[in-house]
Amino acid sequence: MDENFLPSLVLGIDTGGTYTDGVLLEYETRRVLASHKSLTTKRDFSIGIENVIEGIHIEDPAAIRMVSVSTTLATNAIAEGKGKRVALFLIGYDPDLIDRFKMAARFATPSYFFFDGGHDLYGREKKPLDLPAILAKVNELRGWVEAIAVSSYFSPLNPEHENRAYQAIARVSDLPVVLGHQLSTRLGSIERATTAALNASLLAVLQDFIIAVRRAMERRHIDAPLMVVRGDGTLMSDEFAARTPVETIHSGPAASAIGGRFLSRLDEALIVDVGGTTTDIALIQDGQVSVSEEGATVGDYKTSVKAANLLSIALGGDSHLTLGHESKIHVGPERVTPLAYLAYQYPNVAKQLKALSLRTWAQATPDWLEYWFLLREPAESDPLRGQRDRELVELLRDGPRPVPAILRHFGLLHVAQIGVGELLRQEVIGKAGLTSTDLMHIEGRYEVWDAEASRLAWKVFAQFQFKDPDELRQQVWQQMTEMIVHAIVTFLCQRPLELGDRDRCLEGTDPDMARWFFYNSLYHTHPHLETALRLRQPMIGIGAPAGILLPAAAEALGTDLILPEHHGVANAVGAIAGSVMVEEELLVYPQLSREGLEVLGYFVQSHDGRTPFEDLGDALAHARSLSAERALGAALRSGADNPQVTVEELTDGLDTYRVRAKAIGNPRLTR
Amino acid sequence: MELERIDTKRAYERIRERIITLELAPGAALNEQALAAELDMGLVPVREALKLLAHDSLVVITPRHGLYVADVNVPDLERLSEMRLALEGLSARLAAERATDDDLVVLKALRQEQAATPPDDSRRLFEVDHKFHQAVARAAHNKYLAEGLERLFGLSQRLWYLALPKLGFLPGAVEKHLDLVQAIESDDGDRAEAIMRQHVQEFYDQVREVLAEDK
Repeated sequence: MDENFLPSLVLGIDTGGTYTDGVLLEYETRRVLASHKSLTTKRDFSIGIENVIEGIHIEDPAAIRMVSVSTTLATNAIAEGKGKRVALFLIGYDPDLIDRFKMAARFATPSYFFFDGGHDLYGREKKPLDLPAILAKVNELRGWVEAIAVSSYFSPLNPEHENRAYQAIARVSDLPVVLGHQLSTRLGSIERATTAALNASLLAVLQDFIIAVRRAMERRHIDAPLMVVRGDGTLMSDEFAARTPVETIHSGPAASAIGGRFLSRLDEALIVDVGGTTTDIALIQDGQVSVSEEGATVGDYKTSVKAANLLSIALGGDSHLTLGHESKIHVGPERVTPLAYLAYQYPNVAKQLKALSLRTWAQATPDWLEYWFLLREPAESDPLRGQRDRELVELLRDGPRPVPAILRHFGLLHVAQIGVGELLRQEVIGKAGLTSTDLMHIEGRYEVWDAEASRLAWKVFAQFQFKDPDELRQQVWQQMTEMIVHAIVTFLCQRPLELGDRDRCLEGTDPDMARWFFYNSLYHTHPHLETALRLRQPMIGIGAPAGILLPAAAEALGTDLILPEHHGVANAVGAIAGSVMVEEELLVYPQLSREGLEVLGYFVQSHDGRTPFEDLGDALAHARSLSAERALGAALRSGADNPQVTVEELTDGLDTYRVRAKAIGNPRLTR
Repeated sequence: MELERIDTKRAYERIRERIITLELAPGAALNEQALAAELDMGLVPVREALKLLAHDSLVVITPRHGLYVADVNVPDLERLSEMRLALEGLSARLAAERATDDDLVVLKALRQEQAATPPDDSRRLFEVDHKFHQAVARAAHNKYLAEGLERLFGLSQRLWYLALPKLGFLPGAVEKHLDLVQAIESDDGDRAEAIMRQHVQEFYDQVREVLAEDK
């Protein structure tokens, strides 16, 4: 065999909210050779990744040329406050202004400090840098924080104060220091400070993760470069990622979109990824994931990180179906283990459900359909708080228990009294209940576990409401379709639409026109007016439940649903299908005379210095060639193969220009 | 170290720390597998880290007998002190000639931290002393000098930890640093060099004394 034609194998891994997916792919032919799913372990993502790498069928690990991961690690760590403690040093910021507009809550750390210094809109020093105060603060904070972030006013125009602060801090302290201007060239000072603080808090988290992935690779004898997916779907080397963890925010959904495009080969489409916990929507335009030029928002924090423009809703295949007030059925937001799976694992649960279905109406309430079970034995490191935690673990060791039985055991009246939050978060205890996955089992559309258990549970659920089980099932599917269509509509038109009572709206007692239009387009009840929504692009469905949940949504939107082969693992395919990209931005801005009346020339500002020019044209030309050269070098260092460089010039107004070079190429697969 | 993988870098730092603090004794045999298991890392980064440590003269790799922690002895101490006396002196002189305002702010901050550290916290005082020497070398604005000194300091650290149980931190060092900062600030190269040489000399004298007693 011609050895030039050895196929390049690549391994893609995506850690989602519910599952960690792995896929082994032949890069040139886009052929999926093997895939594997394991449960995401939120307490430590690397466990789930190790399980995928262990579980996936790989004939020759030595043939793997690249491994790439997308991860919700950063997003999760921020949401759960698991990052490291960070001190944020703000140089030249106005404390009164921050206070008056209550902006401090956006800094992502409660420890922020103001210092003299900073520059103005033309890169001129506003006030001398108060270095002694900075170093005194570093001394004072010893032992209290684990990283330091520094953001100086207008540092993208002139990073001198940030650089000097870094040089000084690094000589008195061993803590990692993050500088705002290295993460963003945008002028928004609050977002830059937030981005720097988040990045500092995530450094150690992402480093631990990368080290764990490398260890798992080594155990399987995989010796290949490791890449990490950014929030806009492009790839960066692990070394890059270890320094800029904040760029991995939203990398999971971005990878799904890229994977959908890669498998479908469509350049214009709406991507809908239905996972176990969430459904994520993104747009492909001109073959690229559409990126939000405004910074990504994560939790309560607005950053200046570029990320895919996407909408995520709490609806997935494993969303918990529960009965709320006035017989309203809730879908999600919580994700639980499907009863079909629980009964499959524990035959005793199937027996209990059978017994439940034979009880009288008053004795077979839907709360008996929620089970708690032991996911794993608590380790020494898990703090079991008090006697009750221990007793609960002890109780569940004998098998899953319905919630009312647990309450009875403890002599309690309400679930909240048990205080099980920490055990759930640590994944010691799991919850199981009715999900749409159970409905699929009942209908035989997806039947891998115990369908009879699902059927019995659904019968109890429907009978309690005096409803026909089949009709109620249709009603739930319809409700989910409505949720998905609503999400797509609000995502695409970038406007909120609050949903009300459907019947009131269609009858006419609710006067809101937008709502009526939405419902009438879905249910066509008006005797004279026909309204419809039509999506111009096709919809690409991704994720295992997509084939079941999306056809109705696509029909309601008058478009085709495309389910590429292997769409169940498209997210993991997307982790390897992205390009390697590096951006280098330089700012060009006027050099003013001392009084600020006359333009003397122009500065070209890069992160490590600035060069003066008399003429704007010369300055821009210099900026173009310098940014291109740097982007190219950095892309090669990050593992891009033959990167292509494009340069664009943007203006911020005020005679200030942003010259952005983008070097982009496929990942290099040779070792 | 910028080009190293982060796991290599972490393994390097952790193993180096163990060698310097004598947790891994001089002359002790090293087992790659055991180290990898202890650090919860793969074998590759540990192997790379050991190569770097061999380059630092902290680990010895022999083709027949495997890996072990480099030994440390009195003749080593003499050679090290010769080198460090000359280079630390040069470093202080150049710092007096070249230190910027920012360099001085750093030196003063370190001195203040040293003064504020409890006298019985020997390890912390030694760490601050290390930072102080590094800061002087940075103020000399010669990166080759700073790199050379860092390597020599790494080798000297083990001598200090050997002597630590009997030595404690050098009590005179705090005042020495104050004098040194003043000399650097007033651009007095001769004085800066003299103070630094004396400070380094005293260190080796005391360590030598303690180690001689042990014999």
